[in-house]
Amino acid sequence: MKAVMKDRSIRLAVALAAGALFAPVHALAQAQSSAEEARLIEFGKEIFKSKAVCQYCHKWDASGDQGYGGNALSLRATQLTPEQMTEVVKCGRPGTGMPYHDRFAYTDKRCYGYTREEMGKDMPPAGNDFLSNREVDAVVKYLFAKDVGKGPATYEDCVDFWGKDTKQCDPMKK
Amino acid sequence: MLANGRGNAMSMKFFAGAVTGALLTATALTPARAADMTNERALNPQREPQNWILHHGNYQGHRFSLLKEINTDNVKNLKPVFTVALGGFQSGGRYAFGNLEATPLVEDGIMYVPDGWGSVYAIDVSAGKKGVIKWKMDPGTDRAWAGDVACCGVNNRGVALWKDKVISIALDGRMFAINKATGEVAWERKVADPALGETLTIAPLVIRDLAIVGAAGGEFGIRGYIDATDLNTGKAAWRTYTIPGAGEPGNETWKDGKERWKHGGGSVWETATYDPESDTFYQGVGNAGPDWDPEYRAGDNKWAASVLALSPNDGKIKWGYQYTPNDPYDYDEISEHPIINAKVNGEDRKLVVHAARNGYFYALDRINGSFIAGKQYTYEMNWTPGLDPKTGRPLNYNPNADVQVYTEGTHGSRARPKSDKLCPAHTGGKNWEPTAYNPQLGLLYIPSIEGCDYIETVPQKDFVDQGGTVRPRERFSGGATVIRERLYGSLKAVDPATGELKADLKLTYPNYSGALATAGNLVFIGGVDGTFSAHDAKTLKELWSFNTGTGINAPPISYAVNGKQYIAVLVGSRQSQNVIPFSPELKNTSTASMLFVFSL
Repeated sequence: MKAVMKDRSIRLAVALAAGALFAPVHALAQAQSSAEEARLIEFGKEIFKSKAVCQYCHKWDASGDQGYGGNALSLRATQLTPEQMTEVVKCGRPGTGMPYHDRFAYTDKRCYGYTREEMGKDMPPAGNDFLSNREVDAVVKYLFAKDVGKGPATYEDCVDFWGKDTKQCDPMKK
Repeated sequence: MLANGRGNAMSMKFFAGAVTGALLTATALTPARAADMTNERALNPQREPQNWILHHGNYQGHRFSLLKEINTDNVKNLKPVFTVALGGFQSGGRYAFGNLEATPLVEDGIMYVPDGWGSVYAIDVSAGKKGVIKWKMDPGTDRAWAGDVACCGVNNRGVALWKDKVISIALDGRMFAINKATGEVAWERKVADPALGETLTIAPLVIRDLAIVGAAGGEFGIRGYIDATDLNTGKAAWRTYTIPGAGEPGNETWKDGKERWKHGGGSVWETATYDPESDTFYQGVGNAGPDWDPEYRAGDNKWAASVLALSPNDGKIKWGYQYTPNDPYDYDEISEHPIINAKVNGEDRKLVVHAARNGYFYALDRINGSFIAGKQYTYEMNWTPGLDPKTGRPLNYNPNADVQVYTEGTHGSRARPKSDKLCPAHTGGKNWEPTAYNPQLGLLYIPSIEGCDYIETVPQKDFVDQGGTVRPRERFSGGATVIRERLYGSLKAVDPATGELKADLKLTYPNYSGALATAGNLVFIGGVDGTFSAHDAKTLKELWSFNTGTGINAPPISYAVNGKQYIAVLVGSRQSQNVIPFSPELKNTSTASMLFVFSL
């Protein structure tokens, strides 16, 4: 049991670490979004920004951060596929501060094949808010549309995220 | 002195009377105009026990109410008498909603209290059975600008009174002087600069005509400071950096050779105490920066994790005492430093005491800063075996080392980034949430956070102004903390002359509220699960509680109107990431923004 989990954890860890070194390739098309897609991305932004407050740990531009939220990885540099990221959002990452957001995570074997009891001390914390499947889908779509695989955030990205009624983006103006 | 415009003859008549007489007359003249706050009143809050006119209750930091209508016999009958809904809900920066951490002030039936985004409310509580918001001053805080560099919530710990003004701050670094009667802003001053990662969360300390605050931002590479505003002009009076500059005493304890003191931390975010007799105020100072990479900043790093004794008129440092040299734990020591006179070994001593974040209680001589006594107060402690009985330094402090190991493995290092368990957790011990002191019983009440956590060091990169890549407003913390197990709590009563434990009550949840002590021999605390409770001041046994249905993250006060005693507390919490993820029973707690008031 532990060997299987270690294997999955190692694969996950390698994928995450490699993100720091290589330019990632992902399957999500860069085609024009439909109106529904655009709504879902906006919905995902709200979750990233306010409901699940992912930005508290990962920073507003998903470039990662340190501090009380833990050493949160850069999602701009991640090697994860949308499917893998969906799993991480729902199940967290064992042995780290990345929380799980599926209300039923670890109540059965849906997360990495392990229950809460089997996880023991590796059990990740619960996120402040649980997310429905649609919400997880939205936040993953948002991240792949706006952050994953992109270089450093620009002034335009900042204004897109924060709006214009704040000084927040002034330091990024060229 | 009475309200203007009443005629010289009347003013003279009443001025000839006692202060008490003047105050009663002023009360009779409300609600049009309450009496001005004066230096005389600030020095003597005991003359108006119905009011709570200073942040900590008095300048000495006691948080002790002289009111005793509510006592150990009748507190079981305490009940909520009214509530008031407040605002400050908006999201901003890294936060989904604002938080409530303020200690209210009450003067002659009007309460003055801010919400997390800095809106100040004047709430008329004189009717006794309801509170009516008279005015609300919304400073229009730039929420994203400030909230993105606030490490730990949208916080504002209170306001101050001066003459006919309310003095307040906002997270985005501005200070305001507000007309107490009308809520109109007379002036504002930019004190802290979020462009440099600085914010303000502290309740101002007014001494004579100066308002003293300090900058928060210890995780964002600031160089901390204490700052005074001349309230007569609204302009800067003085600024004293908590991290000394080149050539200043203590700067030699920054041994990196690269001027890293310039981003050395030393934040200031809880209100100092003041001793009028020696005209000295005692300011606690925050963690060294970067928090968890002590190898970046070799040396003791004065005056991070210290207390400074300063002169109010010019900000000059009289003495400093450092609790945790080369602080590798994020053991900020900003929290209150109560001033207590006590007998030590049969001799009268003038003490300044501190329930430190690092898990030890300290009693120092407040005249010269010498160590008198120290004692562990947390249940769990592993970063040091104890304190040196002469100096109070950690026993495992190595004077021959620039980077302190303390107990091997309790903090991360570049060679071994992930630490073992650290006790107390980086949260403390005790964080900003205040102690309370009962001078009649001679007991100091410490509401604690108990339990342990972990540190993960990441080698710090330099700021751009020092040849590196870190820009202002980016995190500068040298790593992170990780909580793996539930934190819990306790309420303890200690002898402030020695730190000796006199009573002890283990609590389910860590303290994130603070304590109030009263002459009815009660101690009040709030809980993260919404429980507001009263405890016997001698045994700490719980005598009464009421569950408010959402977390309490603010300290309670007591006041009276028309001779009736009330207990008040702000209710509605940040949903701390230190607590909620490990307390499944609190999982669906909503937040709120409320004032709760209780009476018999």
